[in-house]
Amino acid sequence: MSDVDPILVSVFARAFKSLTDEMSISLQKTTRSPILCEAKDFVTGLYDASGNMLEQTENLPILSFSLGPVCKYILDYFGDDLHPGDIIFHNDVFSMGNQNNDVAVYKPIFFEDRLVAWSACKGHQADIGGAVAGGYNPNATEVWQEALRIPPVKVYEKGKLRKDVWDLIFANIRFDMVQHDMRAQIGSCVVGERRMVYLLEKYGRECLEKHKEALFASTRKMMEAEIATIPNGRYRGESTVYYDGKNRDKRYKIRVQVIVEDRRITFDYSDTDPQSGAFVNGTFTSSASAAILTFLQMVNSDIPHNQGMVEPIRIIIPQGTILNAAFPAATTYGNHLCPANADAIARALAPIVPERVTAGWNHLLCSLTTGTDPRRNDKFVDICFMGLKGGSGAVRGVDGYDHIGMIDASGGLLDQDYEMFEQQTPHLLVQHEYLCDSAGPGQWRGGLGVETQLDIGSDDTQVVIFGDGDVEPAFGLFGGGSGSLNSIKLRYPDGKEYVPRCLDLVTGVPKGTRYHQFAGGGGGYGNPHSRSSELVAREVQNGIISRETARSAYGVVLKDGSFEVDQAETARLRKGRTREGS
Amino acid sequence: MSLKVGIDVGGTFTDFLVTGEGAAPRVYKVPTTPADPSIGLIAGLEEIAAGLGMKITELARSIETIVHGTTVTTNAVLTGNGAKTGLLTTQGVRDALEMRRGIREEQYNNRYTNVAPLAPRYLRIPVRGRLNYRGDELTPLNLDDVRSAVRLFKEERVEAAAICFMNSFANAQHEQEAAKIIREQLPDTFLTVSADFLPSIRFYDRVSSTVLNSYVGPKFSSYVDQLRARLREIKFGGVLLIMQSNGGVMSPELARESPARTLLSGPAAGPEAGLGYARMHGHDSCITIDMGGTSFDAALVLNGVPSVVTEGEINRYRVALPMLNIVTIGAGGGSIGWIDEGGLLRMGPQSAGADPGPVCYDKGGSRPTCTDADLVLGYLDPDFFAGGRIKLNRKAAATAIEERIAKHMGLTIDAAAAGMCRVINTNMAQGVREISVKRGYDPRECPLVAAGGAGPLHACMICRELDIPLFIVPHESSIFCAAGMLVSDLRHDFVSSFVAVFDRIDWKELHADVTRMVNEGARLLAQENIPERRRRFSLNLDCRYVKQYHEVSFPVPMETVRDADAHTVAAAFHAEHQRMYGYSLEREGTPIELINVRVRATGLTEKPAHAEEPYSGPDASSTIKGERPIYELEEQASRFVSVYDGHKTRYGHRMAGPAVIEQVNTTLLLTAGYDCICDPYGSFVVYRRGREDCLSAQLREKIT
Repeated sequence: MSDVDPILVSVFARAFKSLTDEMSISLQKTTRSPILCEAKDFVTGLYDASGNMLEQTENLPILSFSLGPVCKYILDYFGDDLHPGDIIFHNDVFSMGNQNNDVAVYKPIFFEDRLVAWSACKGHQADIGGAVAGGYNPNATEVWQEALRIPPVKVYEKGKLRKDVWDLIFANIRFDMVQHDMRAQIGSCVVGERRMVYLLEKYGRECLEKHKEALFASTRKMMEAEIATIPNGRYRGESTVYYDGKNRDKRYKIRVQVIVEDRRITFDYSDTDPQSGAFVNGTFTSSASAAILTFLQMVNSDIPHNQGMVEPIRIIIPQGTILNAAFPAATTYGNHLCPANADAIARALAPIVPERVTAGWNHLLCSLTTGTDPRRNDKFVDICFMGLKGGSGAVRGVDGYDHIGMIDASGGLLDQDYEMFEQQTPHLLVQHEYLCDSAGPGQWRGGLGVETQLDIGSDDTQVVIFGDGDVEPAFGLFGGGSGSLNSIKLRYPDGKEYVPRCLDLVTGVPKGTRYHQFAGGGGGYGNPHSRSSELVAREVQNGIISRETARSAYGVVLKDGSFEVDQAETARLRKGRTREGS
Repeated sequence: MSLKVGIDVGGTFTDFLVTGEGAAPRVYKVPTTPADPSIGLIAGLEEIAAGLGMKITELARSIETIVHGTTVTTNAVLTGNGAKTGLLTTQGVRDALEMRRGIREEQYNNRYTNVAPLAPRYLRIPVRGRLNYRGDELTPLNLDDVRSAVRLFKEERVEAAAICFMNSFANAQHEQEAAKIIREQLPDTFLTVSADFLPSIRFYDRVSSTVLNSYVGPKFSSYVDQLRARLREIKFGGVLLIMQSNGGVMSPELARESPARTLLSGPAAGPEAGLGYARMHGHDSCITIDMGGTSFDAALVLNGVPSVVTEGEINRYRVALPMLNIVTIGAGGGSIGWIDEGGLLRMGPQSAGADPGPVCYDKGGSRPTCTDADLVLGYLDPDFFAGGRIKLNRKAAATAIEERIAKHMGLTIDAAAAGMCRVINTNMAQGVREISVKRGYDPRECPLVAAGGAGPLHACMICRELDIPLFIVPHESSIFCAAGMLVSDLRHDFVSSFVAVFDRIDWKELHADVTRMVNEGARLLAQENIPERRRRFSLNLDCRYVKQYHEVSFPVPMETVRDADAHTVAAAFHAEHQRMYGYSLEREGTPIELINVRVRATGLTEKPAHAEEPYSGPDASSTIKGERPIYELEEQASRFVSVYDGHKTRYGHRMAGPAVIEQVNTTLLLTAGYDCICDPYGSFVVYRRGREDCLSAQLREKIT
């Protein structure tokens, strides 16, 4: 490739990034479901004619690494029956989709009568049919109880809407909003196409092709250089899934073997337990995304996201395991196996690259309430984003991030605004604050969790609960302690309390019920006795560590009635215990 | 003589523009004095006086108005040295300020930390007392909680306080009760009450903006006091006005109350200035760019109105006050070129700044910058930088580019320098896309106005990248914002949340709300000596379809609210939604919900008139001061081009690209395919050859 202009490679890298960002802004501003326009549970991307990733904007990383594989599947499926003006929908988890609710739109881009690229985006739709509104059906045992399956289907062909197909799809979906949001997704793809054609007109197809290859090569080199800093070897880690939603005492192990071999890294899940008979099951691309996003947090965050980045990463997940359930399993919960998957990887790599691995992150425990707002006699839906976000694990040199949420979003998911929340739901927000002593202690502490209390404002409210982190807390590393647990509790107006399981459907909740949730903290890193005592004193003053914990976990004693460190007493407690743990 | 002076205090230089009746505007630049910027400001006035052969007091007495843009508040936030601030807030939500809705901007970076809250947690005091979503009282305010907070604030010597309670946008009573106690007990503490300062819905936006205001309050007050004392010393008796983030100006007395409105004080004058130049050439829209030493600002003015956001940020803190939508990226003359792990060339965002500066300054810089590349490519004259005041070392620049870039990429020095230039141009072009394409606007449809020390040098290349056929380099391009300050009006923005579905709006109450804001605006303008005939009021509504989350803000005539004309308002909303997002739900009959009401009070100021030069014919050959080789990016080769003296060019002169036009503070590069004609006001108008149709009739006539 002697006539590659290295500068033009930089120009294209920047142009692709700006293109997918533009698609993302367009989608966020035009959608209506709060899951999309507030929480940004979507991803936009650009692919070449063979389905290789050119760039992505990954608002929610767990959706991200399914778009490329599905693109290849679609190419294979339609063969030469692809035309300018086609628009294709897809959500099927048994042909590389990651979750039933995450519906993708693909638009083939043609230039000079040839297929040259694809713009695509995928968003979590508010409903996708199936037995339960919103899709989370803890009682499902097979995919048809969860969702309408859309293997690839053209909704537009050669620029013409296939009205019959469109109507067939939306006749099977509850909320009208989903049609609007799918239109917004198509709009986003059109935005991407327009910009890509502009680039092609400016630089020509051959020039772009050539420089694309150079971009892949340069990115691959960056990723390989990162992998090369990890010693060759095979490293094992595991984690536990405590509940599948059906079988009370059944547990499942996720086992990963990370194989580093000459600038290639493989995540091999061959020893992972078989799939469950319930909806706690991963799909190949949700589990692969989980592995990739976890690994990406351990390398230079500046690497461009294209084919070159993923090429040195290999993922093996045998079908029939809980991370890659075989047809026709129920799998809606699959994205939420990411935290456990990430834990297994962190445990495998922590001894090898201790400076890059974080302690355990708080897992997701989440609720979705639906009911009728008595103030205007109108239905409402709310996912309690603010309540579900605990702390991240600490890493060497940096405390965990407070109230960030699960690792599969990594701080991309926003809280509702409190006052908007009280307008849009009948609930009253009683508390949403950092939770004292929730962070795993350490030389670098875990991120803080939060405590949330709401007074439910509607009768006959339905609360769907899903997630975990209620049995095993986020783990500490190298002497750091674990974070606090997740929990949700309902106190009814008559004083009775109900503690739902982590996968539960609670119906008929009356007005005046107090909803009380604790999202736990992240794990700590390193010996807490090595944390600066002044810093601990300031955190006690700020009320995020109690005096008791300062003493018992950190060996820091404060003078009575003040926030000044009692140096003598602290030195006595810390004596001989301040070395960094192993 | 009555003079008007625009003064823009920037990070490196303080810029002055002096205008007066009949005289040509004068431009001055002096170094900024960061510890107390008023020292540099006075030093500049002294230099101006000396230049005019006057005593400083003589000059000061002849100044009618000073309009001042300041970075005092911006710097306090960026450097974290604002006031020690305490917050009174509703029990249960004391952490909203610090949580910032739980965002981590860099998702894959586990070493990315949250920003420190502007009020630490132990000074964020929960107070019992609760209003519901409509402002009805659920629990009365607990005065003991307020009093014990006051005791703590006293003990801790808190310098500024803020009050923000849940749902106070709907009922200010609790906040006012608490404020009364604070004012009695802590009379010298700077206080911001959210319901007075920003009575709009969205708790996080309000608490963040309110605390920011208190945090920068004491610093701003003492700066303004200092400045006024210094101006009194030199016998200045005219009017001092402060530039705000919304592109308008206000009196220092009012600015003292709401200093957070000056967080974008400096760059905010740019878009208005750009509009002034665009209008001279028959355009009501424009894109302004300002490229300095470390950063590049881009903004859009659409149909005579600079585009405004109400969800801006500074240093990752939310500011929900109306601010001009100015996108800033790390691209300037000092931006450093480097090679990433994958072997790709990058430019910035790290900058060599003014110290050590680019390698060619010979002040110890060793990493090649954009300015070094511009020098190597022949775009800058090593002996005429800043009019020759700074000698540039071309050899050192070339060596640095060779060592750090060219060798690693297997390129010649010229090719590497050209690469640096192209990469930074691409970055800046993305910045322009950010404010245009991403908001659904095609940048090719209006002229670009280029300013800043390095802006005119890169403008042609940016325009080529974006396919923009016309750009203007104003006569005052090097002190663009100072010029903009002199054409800014007084401006006061008000907001009130009025949450209601359309068919249930109490129009009488809404009209009362609007009238209250209009009256308040009139009162402030009166205070600023603006007579009634020069007052203007406009009304914007923020609406959305029921169940949407993002509002659309659109203007409506005042009478619509008075006349309860729901039909006109709805039509305006559907139209704006259609324009922004490509669809409306008018036919579906989806109900509309009103969220906020915004009133803007404007006091028109008198604008300096631009003197027109007589037509001097097209021949610019007398202004050629030499020729030198420059590297043409498209041709990938050097060629000799004419160098024009930009101080000698006159109305009508024409120059064909490629060429260089030099002035003391800026260099304009014309690349092949672009031509330039001088307009009657001393500005350069550059157009793509073959696109003469973009020029104003006046200039087009001279060409054909």
